[in-house]
Amino acid sequence: MTQPAQRVASLHWMMWPAVAFVAVMVIFPFGYAFWLSLLDYKIGQSDAFIGAGNYRALLVDPQFWNGLKLTFILYVGALVIQLVLGVALGVLLHQVETLKGLVRTVMVSPFMLPPVVVGMMSIVVLDPGMGVANYLLKSVGLPPSLFLASNDFVIFTVILIDTWQWAPFVALIVLGGLQSLPTRVYEAAAIDGAVGWRRFVYITLPMLGPTIVTAAVLRSVDLLRFFDVIYITTQGGPGYASSTLNIYAYRKGFEFSDIGYASALMITLSTIVFGAVLVFSQLRRKVAW
Amino acid sequence: MNRATSMSAPLGRWARGIQVVVLMVVLFAPILWMAMAGFKSRVDITRYPPTLFFTPTLDNYRELFVRTDFLENTLNSFIVAAGSTLLGLLLAVPAAFAISWHRLVWPATLTLFARMAPGTLFLLPWFIMFSKVGLSGTHAALIITHAVITLPIALWTLLPHFDGLPRELTESAQIDGCRSLDILLRIALPVVMPGLIVATILSFIFSWNYFLFALVLSGISSKTAIVASFNFIGEGVTNWGSLMAAATVIAAPPIVLTFLIQRRLVSGLSFGAVKG
Repeated sequence: MTQPAQRVASLHWMMWPAVAFVAVMVIFPFGYAFWLSLLDYKIGQSDAFIGAGNYRALLVDPQFWNGLKLTFILYVGALVIQLVLGVALGVLLHQVETLKGLVRTVMVSPFMLPPVVVGMMSIVVLDPGMGVANYLLKSVGLPPSLFLASNDFVIFTVILIDTWQWAPFVALIVLGGLQSLPTRVYEAAAIDGAVGWRRFVYITLPMLGPTIVTAAVLRSVDLLRFFDVIYITTQGGPGYASSTLNIYAYRKGFEFSDIGYASALMITLSTIVFGAVLVFSQLRRKVAW
Repeated sequence: MNRATSMSAPLGRWARGIQVVVLMVVLFAPILWMAMAGFKSRVDITRYPPTLFFTPTLDNYRELFVRTDFLENTLNSFIVAAGSTLLGLLLAVPAAFAISWHRLVWPATLTLFARMAPGTLFLLPWFIMFSKVGLSGTHAALIITHAVITLPIALWTLLPHFDGLPRELTESAQIDGCRSLDILLRIALPVVMPGLIVATILSFIFSWNYFLFALVLSGISSKTAIVASFNFIGEGVTNWGSLMAAATVIAAPPIVLTFLIQRRLVSGLSFGAVKG
């Protein structure tokens, strides 16, 4: 064995600009936001340290619990629908050979659109009076809906919009997973007589486990901090009917200038997001094959 | 294969074909409807029942670009997206090289933190920070904040490409006395060029699409097309035609760029968790 004449130099310094940038723009603001959450800080009104006061206030704020409930409905509803639909569509696309390029192009279009465009599109298509969605509902004999203007239905409309945009993303992840599965497992299963549903439930689905968990993590992060499409279409309304935690925090901070309380809400939400990521990363280890 | 499955195969193929066609229509019809509405006259756009056939007009686009600052807003969007893509790459390329070379984990995890935290969390601190240093409402403030989006995307897109770099290539160059920056620029970069292209395009799209930071941090002179069109909704502009024309203009760059990197798109978006 010949040793290299010189020790290979360290390249560590090359990552310091990026690390410094993240420290200044992400880590410091995170700490700053935590500090703000300990203050009673309303612009031009008050500025005092109150410790956990904002967090205590949060526990008795009905809008906080409403926001938490809406965040949970949106998260669980959209995640389950998108995973089920994503797996179904991924399996479907895996079996289709024709016009692959065109199909892929159409599949990626929704989630590459700017959220503001999806929001504007939704406003026009789902308009209760003149929108084409209600026209189509009526023409097949279904009752029209208020969609985004409905207190009860607005959060489900948001789920519907987000599913239109992101189920194709899950489908493409699943498709990638299916294409990397070993074919010999299928051949062995076919000899054993496993076909159709049985093959799907006992062979395909377990092997897709890690892929599905990955898709779930990616969607979880986006769904828990969902902001754009809700704010663009309803600004959290009607009333507070679509004010998820993230929207409620934004409204508190920028509509009511209650900096301290808004920061407490945002720290709480961040904790939930990181908690979900941790849970899923544990799950990812369990289902790995 | 038994008799029953071979009999049902053509039927299954037809059923699947129909399902795919329905899927394509559901996904693409709203986008097409939006683009069409941008070319409809005021009368046609509110016509009930809605119609597929109409005489196209450019009035909406004329109103958008002549009567509002939308052209300037679009230019701002380009400046911010290009600037933050460049800044993100300047930080991410050397970092990805070092992280991959030394097999580090924590710096990559650190940038994931940036990707996963809710954007609203940073807004209040940033708002205060930028006011203190006098950058409020400038293009620079938007470029810096959007780099928080582009840096993790670029880094995670580049990492697998740097990981695939043969170690001998870098080692022998070091032994020959090349400076490490030269090694990155002359030896490593040409090899990871495909990854760099995907990283650039993804960064640009995500910066272009991003709404929240510019909503709060942009000023009158730096307002992006995304924020401007959101304001159109807020101002209660009932002219749906102009609204849809604006939406079409904003949608065009990401859709066109997406065509170029379709195949690598999903793996790029999933931060290395998925091979696409």
